[in-house]
Amino acid sequence: MAAEDLPSEFDVVILGTGLTESVAAAAFSRVGQRVLHVDRRSYYAGNWASFTFSGLLTWIQQHHEEPLPEEAQDWSSLLEEGEELIHLSHSDCASIRNLQVFCFTSEEDEEEEAPNTTEEETGGAAEDSECADSTEEETKETGEEEEEVREEEEVREEEQTTPSAALRQSEPTKKKISYAQLLKEGRRFNIDLVSKLMYSRGSLVDLLIKSNVSRYAEFKNVTRILTYRDRQVEQVPCSRADVFASRQLSVVEKRKLMRFLTSCVEETEEQRAYNGRPYLEFLRDRQLGDNLQHFLLHSIAMVTEDTPTEEGLASTRHFLRCLGRYGNTPFLFPVYGLGEIPQCFCRMCAVFGGIYCLRHSVDGVVVDRDSNRCKAVIDSRGQRITCSHFVVEEGYVAADRKRVATPTRFLSRAVLITDGSILPSDSDQQVSMVTVPPIAAGCPAVKMVELCSSTMTCMPGTYLVHLTCQSVGSAYEDLSPVVTRMFRTPESHDQETCPSVLWCLYFNMTDGSGLEAEGHNLPSNVYVCSGPDGDLGHELAIRQAESIFQKILPEEDFCPPAPNPEDIIYDGDNTSSSAGGEEEKEENDGVAEEEKQEEEKEMLEEEKEMLEEEKEMLEEEKEMLEEEKEVLEEQNLQTEE
Amino acid sequence: MSMEDYDYLFKIVLIGNAGVGKTCLVRRFTQGLFPPGQGATIGVDFMIKTVEIKGEKVKLQIWDTAGQERFRSITQSYYRSANALILTYDITCEDSFRCLPEWLREIEQYANNQVVTILVGNKIDLAEKREVLRQRAEDFAEAQSMLYLETSAKESDNVEKLFLDLACELIREAKQNKLDNNDTAPMPGEGKTISYLSCCSLN
Repeated sequence: MAAEDLPSEFDVVILGTGLTESVAAAAFSRVGQRVLHVDRRSYYAGNWASFTFSGLLTWIQQHHEEPLPEEAQDWSSLLEEGEELIHLSHSDCASIRNLQVFCFTSEEDEEEEAPNTTEEETGGAAEDSECADSTEEETKETGEEEEEVREEEEVREEEQTTPSAALRQSEPTKKKISYAQLLKEGRRFNIDLVSKLMYSRGSLVDLLIKSNVSRYAEFKNVTRILTYRDRQVEQVPCSRADVFASRQLSVVEKRKLMRFLTSCVEETEEQRAYNGRPYLEFLRDRQLGDNLQHFLLHSIAMVTEDTPTEEGLASTRHFLRCLGRYGNTPFLFPVYGLGEIPQCFCRMCAVFGGIYCLRHSVDGVVVDRDSNRCKAVIDSRGQRITCSHFVVEEGYVAADRKRVATPTRFLSRAVLITDGSILPSDSDQQVSMVTVPPIAAGCPAVKMVELCSSTMTCMPGTYLVHLTCQSVGSAYEDLSPVVTRMFRTPESHDQETCPSVLWCLYFNMTDGSGLEAEGHNLPSNVYVCSGPDGDLGHELAIRQAESIFQKILPEEDFCPPAPNPEDIIYDGDNTSSSAGGEEEKEENDGVAEEEKQEEEKEMLEEEKEMLEEEKEMLEEEKEMLEEEKEVLEEQNLQTEE
Repeated sequence: MSMEDYDYLFKIVLIGNAGVGKTCLVRRFTQGLFPPGQGATIGVDFMIKTVEIKGEKVKLQIWDTAGQERFRSITQSYYRSANALILTYDITCEDSFRCLPEWLREIEQYANNQVVTILVGNKIDLAEKREVLRQRAEDFAEAQSMLYLETSAKESDNVEKLFLDLACELIREAKQNKLDNNDTAPMPGEGKTISYLSCCSLN
């Protein structure tokens, strides 16, 4: 397509298409600001992106390559007197490191070669060496790219690939999905760089609903919460229905759990007495027993043993508030992966006139020396674009200009393609959130999400497993012990019943929560957005986008509902409908009024819902009491006998 | 939300270079208007028209690119859950025809496997400026197993036919794969499943 020139004046220029930037873009465009939204990359969502399998391989390749030396272009001819230029970074390779790839399945489809018996042996051997080669190669690449990787480690990794070949030779008949098949079906994968879930009453879901952006995506319920304990995967009963139906819990435990959960909802004096003391202590003193204590601490509050009580209780409450809105767990997951979400907000921005340009960057920010404000930006083609505000993803900002926590915090990530669910059940289409408490002292707690093929993130017959933790060491060091314990890999022992890992990727990503909100060495009308953080939810990104919006337009509504096309457009002969231009603005005002009312209505309904839920809970408790009574009576009878 | 009254609901997505007349085609079909007013279609996500085919009510939800094609920056999510794609070029603009393979690559990457694709050569009212011969386009469409049609949004030539043909094709396919692919439901808000929905209202 011909390189059309961009308009030369905007209200807001936004660089980077991660979640925060995209939400901000939608918000500005929605209230009539002229928005230019660009990204240096050829894909949307930056470090929030999802990739097909081949897309991910390309991404890996790109991060192995040496970044081209950055040559600061001389744009001085574009500057006027009293202006200076702040150069922006061209590459964000710094945010991703320690990439390591392992392939534990055969290169080619074994079945295809089966008919020819004479060639099978040699063919099979060649396959094995080929696969091992490719793994070694990838490992070597990692070594080259990341100088910090010590040699001994490299040696260890190479050793690891050898057992993989040995293992496959010992059971060559097993029909595993081959690497070739993964490539062939590659477009069925949508592999997220970030692993998060959407709390059903979290700020992202609220925003999607409020803004009507939700119409661009579809969602699935996370169907179960699992936890790893005593070398076993267990399901955590969390909804009232689950608790009630649970076979793991005794009647007494059920009652204790329901009691506890009910008592959590409101803050009490008793709870306050534990402020500042560990939540674990609070739980212990409730005498809930090991089972419940584990569930409550690791799977419901999802905190660590030393998290203070008030924080633990807040997390527990948030979890409980989110239960039952859409399903039996508090979480949703977007069909086609999390990378869809930023794109949905970009679409909203575009619908309201925002201009989009991928493979296009901003080279520098033109600053007026006197006012220390950004007047314009110079794009990568050397066009000067006037703007009133500039929003930028942190990756583009030079290290000496931004304030970040030191030392730099990282997240450890692993992505596995496996051949079975970690906890097989009647349905092979479960979406599971798995909490893995630290497997040894000093190890990080790991959050794991297992996605099935109906989420459209992996090919049928496989599962996509995401592991995330705060990094202590490299991603491989942090997460491979968990992977080895919970899955079958060439390094694991006695894991016959566990799902096999076909392919996996480890990497570290900068933790977005390390970026300070204020204090950057930048003009006052330049706003920095952080990359993804390690939390399970999306609160940080949404809060940040809203705060940037409010700094610039304190009077305006943040992402008001977009009119429903069905309300503006009429069918058939009635062509008097208006869309675009002045008329629509008027219409929007009317719509806004209506929406306010609708919102109120919604709130009332929610309240009603809550009351009903409470009623339900009471009834259930009654039922449970009755059950217990029966049990007790039975016992009485028995003792009488 | 009012009571819906349709037998089928289909999502149709338009793609193709900027300026080939995508928005004009939609406006002509849904509103009978040409030209569709100044400037872009601010704030309009998609247009709706309900048509009747052999006694069945078919609701067509027609999505436009929101200008993101201008700098080749269409979001992948735009293609998701589309039942049909209208790939448009301008018969008076060779360049818009030459970009078709690029568009097809995007379709292959992001659109559903079963998506029905139709190639449309627009602006036949400007016959004297034609740069792409009909035969060439037909051959290309056939090689890619797409339907092909030439239209004029300005003169309203073949516009109705384009959408009705698509609707017929979609109904035919829907009847074939009935009960297929019906389990994914949008959730937050009151979104509706855009797949082969048969009969009755949703809510």
